[in-house]
Amino acid sequence: MKTTVVGSYPKPKWLLRIVKMYKDGEVDEEFLEEAYRDSVKSVVKDHEIAGVDIIWDGEMRREEMTSYFAERIEGFEIYGEVRVWGNAYYPKPSIVGELRYRDELALKDFLYLKGITDREIKVPITGAYTIVDWSFNEYYKTKEDAVYSLAEVLNREFRELVKVGARYIQIDEPAIPTHPDEIEIAKNAVEIMVKGVNAYVGIHMCYGNYRAIFPDVLDFKVDQIDFEFANRKFEDLKILKEYDYDKDLGFGCIDVHSRRIESVDEVKNAIRMALEIVDPDRLYVDPDCGMKLLPRDVAFEKLKVMVKAVEELKEELDI
Amino acid sequence: MIVTTVVGSYPRPDWFREYLRKVAGLQKDLDVEIDIDVLRRAISEVIDEQKRAGIDIPTDGQLIWHDFLLTIASRLEGFEMNGLVRYFDNNLYYRIPIVKGRIRRVKRILHDFEVAFEIESKIKAVLSFYTLTKLSRNEFYGSYEDMLWDLCDAMREEIRHLESIGVKYIQIDEPSILYAEKRELEFLRDLFKELTDVKSETILMTYFDSAERIFPEVLDFGFDTIGLDFVEGYEENLKIVEEFSFEGINVGIFDGRNTKMEDLNEIRERLERIISIGNFNRFYVSPNTGLEFLPRIKAYEKMRLVSSLKEVFE
Repeated sequence: MKTTVVGSYPKPKWLLRIVKMYKDGEVDEEFLEEAYRDSVKSVVKDHEIAGVDIIWDGEMRREEMTSYFAERIEGFEIYGEVRVWGNAYYPKPSIVGELRYRDELALKDFLYLKGITDREIKVPITGAYTIVDWSFNEYYKTKEDAVYSLAEVLNREFRELVKVGARYIQIDEPAIPTHPDEIEIAKNAVEIMVKGVNAYVGIHMCYGNYRAIFPDVLDFKVDQIDFEFANRKFEDLKILKEYDYDKDLGFGCIDVHSRRIESVDEVKNAIRMALEIVDPDRLYVDPDCGMKLLPRDVAFEKLKVMVKAVEELKEELDI
Repeated sequence: MIVTTVVGSYPRPDWFREYLRKVAGLQKDLDVEIDIDVLRRAISEVIDEQKRAGIDIPTDGQLIWHDFLLTIASRLEGFEMNGLVRYFDNNLYYRIPIVKGRIRRVKRILHDFEVAFEIESKIKAVLSFYTLTKLSRNEFYGSYEDMLWDLCDAMREEIRHLESIGVKYIQIDEPSILYAEKRELEFLRDLFKELTDVKSETILMTYFDSAERIFPEVLDFGFDTIGLDFVEGYEENLKIVEEFSFEGINVGIFDGRNTKMEDLNEIRERLERIISIGNFNRFYVSPNTGLEFLPRIKAYEKMRLVSSLKEVFE
């Protein structure tokens, strides 16, 4: 039973200020780079102090999870932003040509992180299905073609990551549960993405109706599926039970949409429910999703509670 | 003759987005109340952009509509807003309106449209009725029909008001009606007839899917023009044109949800088929959906493409 994170973590306020200064032309790239590296160090320290077993760098460089990758892959172009709700917008990429590998996506981040921590590392990258679902398609005849092409690109990145020592890769696919009718495409895409990737692979899905993707999702070629449970009051655990869930479980048990800090006991109770479904060595305890929207001190406290709950339970269960 | 138009929403100008962020944050429970001069400036910029692109009948761009339902619901009595829900198959979310009390019109609904109408009188007002009830959650009415009738009364008052100030085009957007059951359509006829009984031209706009399930019932709703989505349902909607006769059509044939610019020759061929088998007095061409799904420069390019059709046909 290990503790981990989904990926993002609140950015230090000073980093946000420096990013803005960089955009306004007040500081140069070198200045910004140093700030990114320092922010990763401070975030990693937060994770280490909290006691999280498997960590990532808090995604200090990523402002969101689609265009960050699209900007680094041949075939995408970003014309501007579109609304996602209210007055909130995101830069929605367009696929304008054949999708091909160009720049590394997380390789440098991984190597830097490896150099500053002894903790186990997980590398999260947005999956092919989600990136295509959140992009315009001007080039491919079908969405399916675009997804498979992008899956090949990501497969190369995953293999490169393994070459330099990555042992744990997480494919983020929040769009999958929003289109259950396309689950076959998503499943095939995962197969392409993990082909020849000699690492432990997890897939993270949030939002949407989990029931609609069961039991198909159990056939995905991954070691672990990571779901959000806290946000839905752990009701979805029922679904896993019903379908004899048999993969490792990423168990989202900290609500990232609420600033209320969970008590150690309630997290322990939640984990006990998860242990009715998988054995302790197949359970990865983490927050529901990335924590970037929380105030940093709240995120830190929540991680501490999560780790404490796991430690106490381990002792109680003698594992 | 081809008349070019748009469906409704248009991307907010950057400066207006920034302004809204300052006065209202990312999302408010209720409607956004802002300085009328700022609103006027934003709307006239967007109207101007549509006219420059060659759109014959523009809209106000629904610039302060935080989402498609919130604006109408929050300007009526009886609704409260709740959490975010996905809007059809889009990566766009709306606050789900909850009906908590009797629905009543206590003030003007489209006051922002009226600002636009002062700037440009040849402009479409856009409302919604049935779809609002389908995407809301009813926690007040014992029967769904009662809720529909109350909302219908509110909408009729608004439509009568728009008619009285001289609005020429009133469009009712009903994506949800494409999924209504047959017996529901019969019941809806009486309600829609209340809404379409005005001197203004009334347009029923459907999108996100083909419309074969609502024919022939919809022909008795009293609309002057029916808008069909020929991007999502070209073959099905073509059959409708073949089988049924109606006078006014809005052909949504440019994809309002893709930055890809269509091949004009292909569009021309498709339009010629529609024209050759139908017998229309009013023939509007537009994107199939509002343009807010596109980045602003692409929304403009799309409108240019729509209007360049006129040259192709001349």
